[in-house]
Amino acid sequence: MTTVEADPGPFSFDPATTALVIIDMQRDFCEPGGFGETLGNDVAQLRGVIPPLQEVLATARAVGMTIIHTREGHEPDLSDCPPAKRNRGAPSLRIGDPGPKGRILIRGEYGHDIIDELAPRPGEPVVDKPGKGSFHGTRFGEELAARGITSLIVTGVTTEVCVHTTVREANDRGYECLVLSDCVGSYFPEFQRAGLAMIAAQGGIFGWVAPSRALLAVLHPALEGTPS
Amino acid sequence: MTSEALVAPVPAAPPPEPVARIGPVTAARPYAWPYDGSVPAARTALVCIDWQVDFCGPGGYVDRMGYDIGLTRAGLGPTARLLAHARATGMLVVHTREGHAPDLSDLPANKRWRSRQIGAEIGSAGPTGRILVRGEPGWEIVPEVAPVAGEVLIDKPGKGAFYATQLDLVLRSNGITHLLLTGITTDVCVHTTMREANDRGYECLILADATGATDPSNHEAALHMVTMQGGVFGAVGSTDGVVDATTWSSP
Repeated sequence: MTTVEADPGPFSFDPATTALVIIDMQRDFCEPGGFGETLGNDVAQLRGVIPPLQEVLATARAVGMTIIHTREGHEPDLSDCPPAKRNRGAPSLRIGDPGPKGRILIRGEYGHDIIDELAPRPGEPVVDKPGKGSFHGTRFGEELAARGITSLIVTGVTTEVCVHTTVREANDRGYECLVLSDCVGSYFPEFQRAGLAMIAAQGGIFGWVAPSRALLAVLHPALEGTPS
Repeated sequence: MTSEALVAPVPAAPPPEPVARIGPVTAARPYAWPYDGSVPAARTALVCIDWQVDFCGPGGYVDRMGYDIGLTRAGLGPTARLLAHARATGMLVVHTREGHAPDLSDLPANKRWRSRQIGAEIGSAGPTGRILVRGEPGWEIVPEVAPVAGEVLIDKPGKGAFYATQLDLVLRSNGITHLLLTGITTDVCVHTTMREANDRGYECLILADATGATDPSNHEAALHMVTMQGGVFGAVGSTDGVVDATTWSSP
């Protein structure tokens, strides 16, 4: 077992049964000129996640950990998009409308795909999800079970929406989740702080939180073949 | 069939019963709920989440962890009022209870470990019976918002009311499309359930005054999160807002 110093206490995991989960690092959420920015959000708040996440991804690949990517989006005919999701709040741009990087949140469009910096490699599952959670309406749970995964290292965007929903789903299913504080991002600093605090509250009610350097510190020795 | 049979006399229909509709709740944030204007009460469920002794009663799990149960009890009055309103208007009423089988066979190892770390191990004996075990006094719903015969009870092993329960089937079988959410705690079980419901296409309103948390700042942050991005999980309203937005009409 490998142990990372985390909040509210040490997080122990076996890299062989742990998956690095990278949530929704899609162009529409993370890139200037994408859907997120057209809604008035500051994408710089999310782009700070990219460098530490690149290092975590490279290390996880070198160690041979399971890596799973997710993307939020819908079928081109919107048959899997709940009307409430598309229409509530009188949005200026709705899901399926033409956007700066293709139709908004539609599978197969340029903006829906993962940013080049974190592009999946062959063999790494990419799970397409219609909602905020990675488990509902997807094969994410089956992908984890097929690989014998029991622990998740969770990264991606946004902290309080898709990351939180996925961690809540995973926790109810008995997975142990470590959220990397500098590898998850929110457009809103207040929610970044509150979202991380909620995970570690009440003795870690949804899981554990640690900075990526704490994880890298224990994975790098493993990489060099020395006991960790 | 003969033409005679087609024109058989039909008994006079009884006068139509008035039908209640909810919405628009104009004071809801960030939009007047629901997104589709208004909804028949018959397509709406009032979901009362985990109003159990263990979470808001003396000697229960939350009390034993050292939190102020005054904070988790604050929403009981508004919830009782919403229950009366839901029963009068013909909404489906759903109560959920978090808990585990007496042999703890449905208790994930990490959840058990975590409760032990914090000094209130699930399944251990406490002043109100074994903590979070089905059938124990502490697991029961408190009398202020107790279910009445005919209401739906959902027993859940986790924070979310959809995972590993029959809730989605019950809601769909009853033609429910819209949910009013009350309960405890705001940031844990209520938020997890709201997120699950939203991903499944239900239009949700969380009632700020009929929820509560062990930490007031988590309560506020959880409500604020709902209002972002045009209502990313639905909208936030109040008991008064729902009652005031109820109208009666002929079907």
